[in-house]
Amino acid sequence: MEERTSLIKIKPKNYSDGEIVKVDFMVMHPMETGMRKDKKTGEIVPAQYINNVKFNYNGKLISSMKVWESVSVNPVFTIAMKVAGQGKLTVTFTDSTGESSENSIMIQPKG
Amino acid sequence: MKTLVKIALSAALIASLSNAGEQFAMSDADRAMYAEMLESNPADMNIAHGGELLEKNCGGSAGLAKFLHVSQKDLPNYIAGFPRYLKDFNMVVGIDQVLQAAMHENGKKPFTLQSKDMFEMSAYVKSLANDVPINIDINANQQMKDAYALGEKTFNTNRGKRGLSCLSCHSTDVIGSVLRTQPLPALGANGNASVGTWPAYRMTKSSMSTLQHRMQGCMQNALLEVIPLGSPEMVGMEVYLGHQAKGAKMAIPGLKR
Amino acid sequence: MQRRDFFKTLGTAAVVGATLPVMGMAAEEKKKGPNEFSYNQAVSAITGGKTAEKSDKVHLKVPEIAENGAVVPVTVEVDSPMTAHDYVEEIHILDTKNSNSRCVDAFFTPANGKAFLSTRIKLGGTQDVVALVKLNNGTYLIATQNVKVTIGGCG
Repeated sequence: MEERTSLIKIKPKNYSDGEIVKVDFMVMHPMETGMRKDKKTGEIVPAQYINNVKFNYNGKLISSMKVWESVSVNPVFTIAMKVAGQGKLTVTFTDSTGESSENSIMIQPKG
Repeated sequence: MKTLVKIALSAALIASLSNAGEQFAMSDADRAMYAEMLESNPADMNIAHGGELLEKNCGGSAGLAKFLHVSQKDLPNYIAGFPRYLKDFNMVVGIDQVLQAAMHENGKKPFTLQSKDMFEMSAYVKSLANDVPINIDINANQQMKDAYALGEKTFNTNRGKRGLSCLSCHSTDVIGSVLRTQPLPALGANGNASVGTWPAYRMTKSSMSTLQHRMQGCMQNALLEVIPLGSPEMVGMEVYLGHQAKGAKMAIPGLKR
Repeated sequence: MQRRDFFKTLGTAAVVGATLPVMGMAAEEKKKGPNEFSYNQAVSAITGGKTAEKSDKVHLKVPEIAENGAVVPVTVEVDSPMTAHDYVEEIHILDTKNSNSRCVDAFFTPANGKAFLSTRIKLGGTQDVVALVKLNNGTYLIATQNVKVTIGGCG
């Protein structure tokens, strides 16, 4: 299965240890509600939406989300995170059809 | 008779516009909130993918700089001056057309101008010039002068079933007016930074679009015959609008309603 | 009808169209979604019937007028020290009129450092957006804001 394009962004770009930063997670996903008609075929497009997102920092779950179909297409989720040393932030997500994927970013505080 | 219809219709248009204060317009706080969304722009994903495409198809920014006969250091500044007249092409071209040629030279099948891949790759290339002021030079040569003139003419000419031109909605006469909650930007007069924010993510379409593609959408809704991407008229309009926005810093990708 | 009067009518229609862009839910278009939680059902599913207290510690930011119902920015921040003893456990974003009122249920730990959640939601029409917050001591806090949904601009 083709991996979905996703992106993790830490804001600000440069941060120090102990700083509270924002973490953006965004993914190209249609977030179909199951209530939309295809304009060409007139058929209802079946529901397919991201239903779970987990943020793991150095192997520890810091945040998770249960997501519903009311979230916008190509969703963006932003949370806060306290930088606690160098490590890896991994975001895993699943959708309502069982599709799943993950993305990671290295956390590298300066000073 | 035809003139009468035209006048009456533009009167209807003017009547449907009103000043920001008295109409159903967004507050400054709301606008600030939408501006903040720029920080988390889904089109960042398109740009990242565009970078991969450039690497694969044109040898990255180094390959592109070589193709354009400029140093890699000068590349951002050079990009901020597009569309340009290029001798190799013997015409004024947009960056997407340059990329098509670069792909061809690299033995790749060029992406079409309206493909998502081309939108992403050209957006990435334009983003290399972020924070650089737009420096289109319409006096560089006769070809640029002609492109500017054609762009201006295309922008100002009334066409289609409603006899509208781009200028009907984007002129100094209507600046500050609000059309369905959106203030109309004066694209064709006295500079507007918005040219430097395309390609942009369009929230109504949930996808990234280019300036030329956006103008096509506008033409379609205003019942004007849609001008093809990369045509002399389209490139001319990009020159014309780019010149109005000269000095404004490139900030790509933008985020639009 | 005189031609001029005809255009006058046209002009009036355009004004009405432009000043009243508030979008309603088209009843005939209503399809059954994958989840059907009314607002009240959603709240009781989350709180288990406990009362949620209105609190100015919950900062809910939504636009007063959303220029596009398909992408409405929502930001929730809760005043909290986010220590092991005192932190925000959950932030729920809900709406009052979508066929499923639940948008996001987010779970936090002290490692977040700040109780913050931001996302973008679809609103099928003018309605309230609600932030429902659970503290680690079991208390529920709530904040509500109305969002007018319009179809803005061209195209």
